[in-house]
Amino acid sequence: MSLTNDRVEETETIDQSVKGARADARHSRTPSFNLPDKPVVTIETRKAWVSLNLRDLWAYRELLYFLMWRDIKVRYKQTVLGAAWAVIQPLTTMIIFTYFFGKLARVPTDGVPYPVFCYTALLLWTFFSNAVTHAANSLIGNSNLITKVYFPRLIIPSAAVGAGLLDFAIASVLLVGLLVYYDFAVTWRYLMIFPLVFLTTLLALGVGIWFSALNIRYRDVRYALPFLIQVWFFVSPIIYPSSLVPEEFRWVLHLNPLTGLIEFFRAALFGRDLPWLALGYVAGLSVIVLAYASYAFRRMERSFAEYI
Amino acid sequence: MKPIIKVEGISKKFRINPRERSSVRYETLRESLTKFVRLPFTRGQKNGKRDDTIWALKDVNFEVFPGEVMGIIGANGAGKSTLLKVLSRIIEPTSGRVEIYGRVASLLEVGTGFHPDLSGRENVYLNGAILGMKRREIDERFDEIVAFAEVERFIDEAVKHYSSGMYLRLAFAVAAHLDPEILIIDEVLAVGDANFQKKCLGKMDDVTSSGRTVLFVTHGLAMVTQLCRRAILFNGGRIIKMGPSSEVVAHYDLMCNTSTDEPA
Repeated sequence: MSLTNDRVEETETIDQSVKGARADARHSRTPSFNLPDKPVVTIETRKAWVSLNLRDLWAYRELLYFLMWRDIKVRYKQTVLGAAWAVIQPLTTMIIFTYFFGKLARVPTDGVPYPVFCYTALLLWTFFSNAVTHAANSLIGNSNLITKVYFPRLIIPSAAVGAGLLDFAIASVLLVGLLVYYDFAVTWRYLMIFPLVFLTTLLALGVGIWFSALNIRYRDVRYALPFLIQVWFFVSPIIYPSSLVPEEFRWVLHLNPLTGLIEFFRAALFGRDLPWLALGYVAGLSVIVLAYASYAFRRMERSFAEYI
Repeated sequence: MKPIIKVEGISKKFRINPRERSSVRYETLRESLTKFVRLPFTRGQKNGKRDDTIWALKDVNFEVFPGEVMGIIGANGAGKSTLLKVLSRIIEPTSGRVEIYGRVASLLEVGTGFHPDLSGRENVYLNGAILGMKRREIDERFDEIVAFAEVERFIDEAVKHYSSGMYLRLAFAVAAHLDPEILIIDEVLAVGDANFQKKCLGKMDDVTSSGRTVLFVTHGLAMVTQLCRRAILFNGGRIIKMGPSSEVVAHYDLMCNTSTDEPA
């Protein structure tokens, strides 16, 4: 910036008379500033229809990175096991499920060893449920930022979802170990994990963003969400295969987008036909949910600082 | 001369206890429905019909010119902070319009976003990013910031182990090294011991003499006359006096002395 100013040459004293003289000098000053013709920022009451303002989001992309980095750093500060916790959580769950559902209840798995069968689903599920939970509580947890600084608020829940990706990456190392241990052939189809994670992230973003905004006005979310997550767990084919459900009701199970994600993941790993139709449905639904949630978020955003 | 900040008829209405009311979802839903139905008829009405609303700002108009340092004074609850929040885009005005012709950084608090578990170094980066600095800018100014805060030896310690003075100094140092065209400050200069305050004031002088536009709220009247050429006096959400800072401060003094309930 070349903000040149005649005041710079003036000596800074506390003398009142000089102050007055300066005030007069302002009016006689020649305009040496290069102000933009259009305002950089215009503030007014927002219209009913809001835009997503993607340009603003892009301008603040570094903040997204820093908030993700903070969430990750803080999560494992002062822990002895650190990032190992990312593996411990799904691993312990898998062991318990293998014993109860695999060994005792003998849940059919279409011929796949129960630990692998269960862990594939748990991997996606743990990422999804943690992402949604963290995102939903993220705005409340960052209320000091919301009441003191401007930036696109969408960044906060997005960072919470993004930070979960690292845990996912760490936990997926164990899946590779399991696949090798149980002698599964490594094929190109393992690469399907990337589009699957992408879709899971979109879906988690959509659900998380919406709940985070709602949480500001209605703290009921804090109580309702754990319950919802629990129900969601049981209506997803995590401990059982979707083939366990009678054929005529299976479409109901498939309304749940996680069914498609988990089934597609398993099909890719265990060498079955890939259910593209189910994946297409998940992709479409994720985009719709995310679009709606972002729009709803932007509408509620303007009153965040007043209600938080 | 063209103003860098143009504030036109800004008003802000608050509902008293908005959270209590909205926790009953049924009521807010009903309210918003009736409001929607009545909308065409309520346009011209002033407040007064409902007594649970309060105008924190009412028809505020002023202009700030490039390079100007403007002080904003007034008793508690006069609307100063609300104004800064509107200008910082934290809350939305009920009506009116503001045009700003430059990059704004607002400091409504020192150390916004500081995380106790992170080290001083990490917090400098985090806080800088939150205040709108680019990573490269923070890299460039990092040493300067640490030196200014005088915490070189502890920069890799978690800030929760800092003394409160060290914490505030580091927080202020980050803010002081922002480089926007317009700086909006709310009462953040009163940090640290006497020595550090002097340093802060020196930094403020640098900032103001470097041609930056500064808008700041304070209760330190001496500071206003010292740093600002012009000042605005608020009372009850309205501007009651605007002009050379010494005159405005004198007016405020007079107002405080004549009114029965003196502001704290």
